[in-house]
Amino acid sequence: MKRTEPTERDTGGIGRRRLLSAIGGSAVAAALAGCSTLLSDGGGQQSGDGGDSGGSIPEEPIQAGLLTFTKGAPGVLGIQAQRGAELAVQRINEAGGIGGQRRIELDVVDEGSNPLDSYNQFIEEGKEVTFGPISSGTHSQIAPEVEKNEVVNVGTDGTVTTLYEETVPDPTYSFRFQNYDIMEVVTMAREAVERIGADEIETVAGVNPGYSFGEDEMRVFKQAITKLTGAEVVYEGFPELGASDMSNHITSINSEQPDVTFSSLWGGDVTTFVRQASANDMFDNTTVFGTTLYSAAGDVPADALAGTDIYSGSRNYYWGHPALGNWQPGRELFDAATAQDGVTVPTAHYMSGYGAVTAWATAVEKAIDLLGTYPSQGQIAQMLEGHGFFTPAGYHNMAEDHQGSSNSFAGAMVYDDDLGAARLDDVNIYSAAETAPPPGVAGSAWLDSWSS
Amino acid sequence: MAGTLETALVQTLNGVQFGFILFMIASGLTVILGILDVLNLAHGELFSIGAYAGIGVFGFVIGVVGPPSGVLGGVVFVLAVLVSVLLTAALLLPVGTVFEALFLRAIYDRDQVYQLVLTFALLLILLDVKKFVWGNTSLRTDAVYSAINSIPTSELVGLNYPTYNVFVILVGIAVVAGLFWFFDRTKTGRIVRATAIDREMATAIGVSTDRVFTLVFALGAFLAGFAGAMAVPPTAATLGMGTNPLVLSFVVIVIGGLGSLRGAFVGALLVGVIRSWMITLYPPGEIAAPFAIMALILLVKPEGLFGTWGETA
Repeated sequence: MKRTEPTERDTGGIGRRRLLSAIGGSAVAAALAGCSTLLSDGGGQQSGDGGDSGGSIPEEPIQAGLLTFTKGAPGVLGIQAQRGAELAVQRINEAGGIGGQRRIELDVVDEGSNPLDSYNQFIEEGKEVTFGPISSGTHSQIAPEVEKNEVVNVGTDGTVTTLYEETVPDPTYSFRFQNYDIMEVVTMAREAVERIGADEIETVAGVNPGYSFGEDEMRVFKQAITKLTGAEVVYEGFPELGASDMSNHITSINSEQPDVTFSSLWGGDVTTFVRQASANDMFDNTTVFGTTLYSAAGDVPADALAGTDIYSGSRNYYWGHPALGNWQPGRELFDAATAQDGVTVPTAHYMSGYGAVTAWATAVEKAIDLLGTYPSQGQIAQMLEGHGFFTPAGYHNMAEDHQGSSNSFAGAMVYDDDLGAARLDDVNIYSAAETAPPPGVAGSAWLDSWSS
Repeated sequence: MAGTLETALVQTLNGVQFGFILFMIASGLTVILGILDVLNLAHGELFSIGAYAGIGVFGFVIGVVGPPSGVLGGVVFVLAVLVSVLLTAALLLPVGTVFEALFLRAIYDRDQVYQLVLTFALLLILLDVKKFVWGNTSLRTDAVYSAINSIPTSELVGLNYPTYNVFVILVGIAVVAGLFWFFDRTKTGRIVRATAIDREMATAIGVSTDRVFTLVFALGAFLAGFAGAMAVPPTAATLGMGTNPLVLSFVVIVIGGLGSLRGAFVGALLVGVIRSWMITLYPPGEIAAPFAIMALILLVKPEGLFGTWGETA
């Protein structure tokens, strides 16, 4: 079940040899793991040859593209992913570049308009790797193109469950770093049971974004919570992305008074929903559990969170857990992130950008170590399958099915005056084994197999 | 608030409130269309500029007034918000004047496609202007919404309904009354209507159509800015926020009749309330509801509920 105390893996109590082995052993991997302090006393002795492979590595910079939301309400989280990716690229370049000599030049394009065209433009420009997107709809559009173009893409988000079950069932070049929908939704279903108790949850409702991501999340939540509690679903609302008025959905919830209201609203929509829900006294009638509510950590004002009853997930990264004083890579990342423009606190989407770049870069470094030369797209893709690596969030694994998996975080969302942003209180951690189906098993089949 | 009747009442009020916001946006669009015969695609951007500018004006005015305290303080605060909205809308008057005089006036005699291209170009320019002035990220005004909601109104009659929404409905009623009074009772309004009905005759009796057109476009911009400032406190100003209101405003004026102010009023309330009820009874129909109403009206009465601009507004 859940763990509330950090493990050795989380806290950095891991031995240096094991850490170096896991991250590929190179300066780039160490820099990306944020463990320069941990490695400073002779860590280089364990290093592989990824940092000094010499003449077999081309010298020209690696052209990379990132598709993310850079403006508007979705920009609240898209810019987080951008800043995370930029920090990872900066650390790689400061460590000498990929293979010790290839710097990365990251081209960032807004995902908001014609994302498929933007992706194809990346390919036409000769990008050697692409990162992103944020949106599930965009991810479903570009994943087949990624396979056709045979250029590795590491998705930051776009976490729709069906991506590797239906859209691209046997991917070669398409990977996804962030925990996907079923993981974050099951996390919140378990969190609801943990906080309220299975016997106390008789009715549930949902307010989710009116497109594939929101529909996917609500479908999975219904399946999971029904299995865990036998609860009845009394209301499902799907406001469009960027909706300015959510009062109808809020009134419906006030009318039904469900024990749990599930929401996968994200970015600016969270703030609109929470403010209007507070104004309508909705938190007197229900407790809200959301997968991505914390994505609005730097946007939601103090008065909107006062008196609310909200629990949010934070996907595979929460900056405050383990406590920053206990986990130096986390401290370094937090300080570096909050110094960047547009980042009040780094959220899970920050890690989406950081981790996607890290997954690719550490896999390439590992391939260089093995091959002694710069790998082809196919070799990079092969190396990414089953690739384990560290970021300041902890340990991650890119599974054989191309889906990344890590621990998930959830806690009570409250406002922190000192921070000037929201934080999560009383954080619970859920392992991937608790939130994701075993390899090769479809999400819905896994949930169906649960005993009620 | 589990009572069915109370829920029905609140959902209807939600719809009316949304309808009044829609009317404030659509009224400017329909007045410009009815009198200038121009479909202003940049209208949604004028609305969003009202939202962005409103945040700044709210911040300044409310900084002077302070938070509401007591009955008198509450009244002063609400008046300060209203003054802020009017100031914001007034900022759009010169914008509308310049647009009409510099750009639109040159192409009135050309095919309508030129007007569409021009107003679309203005839309794109305004989008970039917003990005330049206010940046890429969304902006909020936190003080207005929570402060007005702290003033009890609906609670006094045993209803749980945000005071800000009550404020929007009351202001909406005032805007409707004010517009009908302007067009029906004032000399300037009658001149505008006369120009809309017969441009040549109006010119023959000495009306300057250039000045009337500038006035009308500036009035449309004023209404868009007014709507933006009223709409922003419960939500946020974002770069893309002008798109949906523009689309819904088109739906409203098609339902009501192209160019009819009366039609815009009825169409906006119809869309607001039916959308609200659709969310209550069948939530997936939220987005489709306004378009379904429009399709139905077009089938039954292709000219819209109230036809075009005529003897009455």
